[in-house]
Amino acid sequence: MSSTWVIASKELLDLRRDRLFAVLIGFLAIATLISVGVAAAAFRTELDAYNLYVQQLAASGSTTPPAEPQLFPLQLLRGGVEYLEILGALFAIVLGYGTVAKEKYRGTLQLLLSRPVGRFAIPAGKVLGLAVVWLVVVAVLTLLTTLAILVIGNAPLQGIDLVRILIAAVVAWVYLVFWSSLAIGITALSPRLSTGLIVSIVVWLAFVLIIPQIGDTMDPDNQVPGGLFATLQIQKPDELKVLANFAAFDGIRNGLEVSSITKHFERLSFAFLGIKDKYNQLPLGLVWADMWGYAITLAAATLASVTFAVGATTRRNLQRKIS
Amino acid sequence: MTNSAIATDNLSKSYGSTLALDALSLEVAAGEVFGLLGHNGAGKTTTVNVLTTLLEPTYGNAEVAGHSVTADAMGVRRSIGYLPENVQFYDNLTLMENLRFFAELSGLRRPDQRIRDVLRILDFEGRDRQRLGTFSKGMRQRVGIAQAILHAPSVLFLDEPTSGLDPEGVRTLRETIVRLNSEFGMTIFMNTHLLSEVTKTCTSIGILRGGTLVHHNTLAKTLADFPGEDSLEEIYFQLESERVS
Amino acid sequence: MNTFLVSARHEMLNTRRARTAHILLIVFIGMVIASSVIGWVTNQTVTGVYNKVVADGLTTAPNPFAGVSPLYYARNAVIYVLLIGSLMAIVLGVQATVRDRKASTVDLVLSRPVATPARLLGQLAGLAVVLAAVIGISFSVSWLIFSIINGAPLGWGDTGRVIAFGLLSWVLLTSFALLGMLTGLRSKQQTTALLVPFVIWSAVAFVLPQIGTAARPVSLLNPVPALASTGGYFDVVSAFTGPLSLTEQFKRASSIILQDPNVTGEATSSILILLAFLVIMTVVVVVTPRNRMRSGLNE
Repeated sequence: MSSTWVIASKELLDLRRDRLFAVLIGFLAIATLISVGVAAAAFRTELDAYNLYVQQLAASGSTTPPAEPQLFPLQLLRGGVEYLEILGALFAIVLGYGTVAKEKYRGTLQLLLSRPVGRFAIPAGKVLGLAVVWLVVVAVLTLLTTLAILVIGNAPLQGIDLVRILIAAVVAWVYLVFWSSLAIGITALSPRLSTGLIVSIVVWLAFVLIIPQIGDTMDPDNQVPGGLFATLQIQKPDELKVLANFAAFDGIRNGLEVSSITKHFERLSFAFLGIKDKYNQLPLGLVWADMWGYAITLAAATLASVTFAVGATTRRNLQRKIS
Repeated sequence: MTNSAIATDNLSKSYGSTLALDALSLEVAAGEVFGLLGHNGAGKTTTVNVLTTLLEPTYGNAEVAGHSVTADAMGVRRSIGYLPENVQFYDNLTLMENLRFFAELSGLRRPDQRIRDVLRILDFEGRDRQRLGTFSKGMRQRVGIAQAILHAPSVLFLDEPTSGLDPEGVRTLRETIVRLNSEFGMTIFMNTHLLSEVTKTCTSIGILRGGTLVHHNTLAKTLADFPGEDSLEEIYFQLESERVS
Repeated sequence: MNTFLVSARHEMLNTRRARTAHILLIVFIGMVIASSVIGWVTNQTVTGVYNKVVADGLTTAPNPFAGVSPLYYARNAVIYVLLIGSLMAIVLGVQATVRDRKASTVDLVLSRPVATPARLLGQLAGLAVVLAAVIGISFSVSWLIFSIINGAPLGWGDTGRVIAFGLLSWVLLTSFALLGMLTGLRSKQQTTALLVPFVIWSAVAFVLPQIGTAARPVSLLNPVPALASTGGYFDVVSAFTGPLSLTEQFKRASSIILQDPNVTGEATSSILILLAFLVIMTVVVVVTPRNRMRSGLNE
């Protein structure tokens, strides 16, 4: 068995028995299931309001009822995707940090380094171990949320829906591996372990919360609850025409958003799941035609992050004095 | 209880169902340097933790410098200095800042001059403004001694003070302990594994075995009671072999 | 010098020296200042959008931003206090109590004539002063920026509102610092001490509001409080989750104080909820038993 796989296997065994890890993933699963349930409840509330409105219309003699609200099952996953986006990234950072930190604190680092392991075996093993962990976690979360859509959401799923869910799961896995690898590299480089964790968290703050939030709050439509254009009673085609006159502002806003890997993950997931109206029920080929750039960027960023983790985790960096 | 510096009366401590300290009764006279020996897990640190009021006894009592550890814990804390094993201190703060903090917590006002006096006693001048993160293990131990004696306690507790020190560090520490005892009259209660240092430093010793005090006497009488043994080490192992058998 | 003052001063000194605290403080101050500028730029753009919409004859609705207060530009600071400020306060709180456990100095402290409530209150006071200084600096600079954008120094009324917003931010941040102190005292591992309050913060900021209003997590990062979904389930559940959604209460009270036209009503109940949380957390931390403070730290 190669050293890399031995180290990866040890990571898997370690995490299987780690209570903190179980709590984090449990919380993520619960939050995701809650979001499916709440979204389903919100739809039922909307449907009840619609039915009441139709009854009132009928009672008043009207014969042209408005369009009934439609449930698109995969849109129930929006909250879950956002939880993975925000909290999944944070937990991935903590796991990445922990995988380096625990070797130093336990004093097992010297035991590893005094054995005939290759230069890249330790970091590659840790990245591989975490990648497998996230694969299992994403698989379990995917299964749970799919069941939640069927049971809690009471919404039927077609074969194509399952394919979309699978694609979104792969995107989520790549995203989580990105953050774990980044944290491994930052922690290995930091002279103080606590600094490594906090720098990683600051990076998370910046790229997961702040930058996307700046983009969202600069969005003219978000300035009013319920939407600016809805408040002014302006339809979508006219909205787009108006915004075309503010292309520079929107360019800066969009540029800020796409500088964050989180936005790439979000846009990819929303597109393939049909959460964004523009992509709802759109054939996968057409979605891919629009989204391939984001997919390439996310993949490239993850590859860069893994390379950074492997490159930064040198014997010299690892053996720096703990403080 | 007597006028001893330290006196315990059936002092016992349990952690759940584990009896760590079993009816410990001993007295340490004022001005003594007392060495408490024992195997790992014998209860030495537990003894020190109870006497320094960090832990409450399960039953029994103890008096330190005339104050009961149960009824007058604050009185005990005002009278003692304590150096635990492997203390790290605040790396981001300078030596002066670290010591000033502990001095003020001990009730000293404007302690800077006192700190400088203590550092002079310990031959540790000129490093006031250095951050502790740059100090070696030996230097940290001296900082540890310094913080323990700033408020001129009558009783000093040292838990494995030679742990991790090189031979020079061990000798410096020994000289410091002897000086604190002879010049300043401090009673010193010391946990240690280093039997060679016990023979050079202590005036009386106790040996704990599985939470029970199996031997307590002056060092001179101990050596006299085992005429067939050449060193304290051999006496200790003989007593330990009685444990095994 | 008594334990409370010594501990407070010691805490301020350690925070000043900790590099990690510097990183967080700089990020917080920088973002609060930046939020004022971002708010102004966005407002100018949105006003342009409205004017264009009117010029094209697409609406006759009134300008939703007519007569908006100069404090409108502070709305993004609400989110940065919530995001960066809360997490920064958590980190500072954890470091305050983990430090002694990590450095094994807790026995040096507790073997001295120190009452543990005084010790913990002193540490809290030190942190509270640091947080007050950070808020004071960032909001003072923001006030200057608002005045520049406004073309004149803000009047007493608006200045008072900025101060009130600062005080409310301090209440929120001190509460989260207490949460960090609590986990720093009780966790067996340093990582857990840092992570548990983050998880709690996530639950309070995202999960609770979502349960009560169906608002999605990312939309809760908007300074405008979530619009409540109405009807059966939500009416019942939001009655429970609403008061516990401290971050939403903070957003609501801050928006009212800053005269955000999108939020109406009284801020009193929200402020009281936040104050109650602060008091409760203070009591919970201060009654920590001595043996808990001495418990070892693993990693």
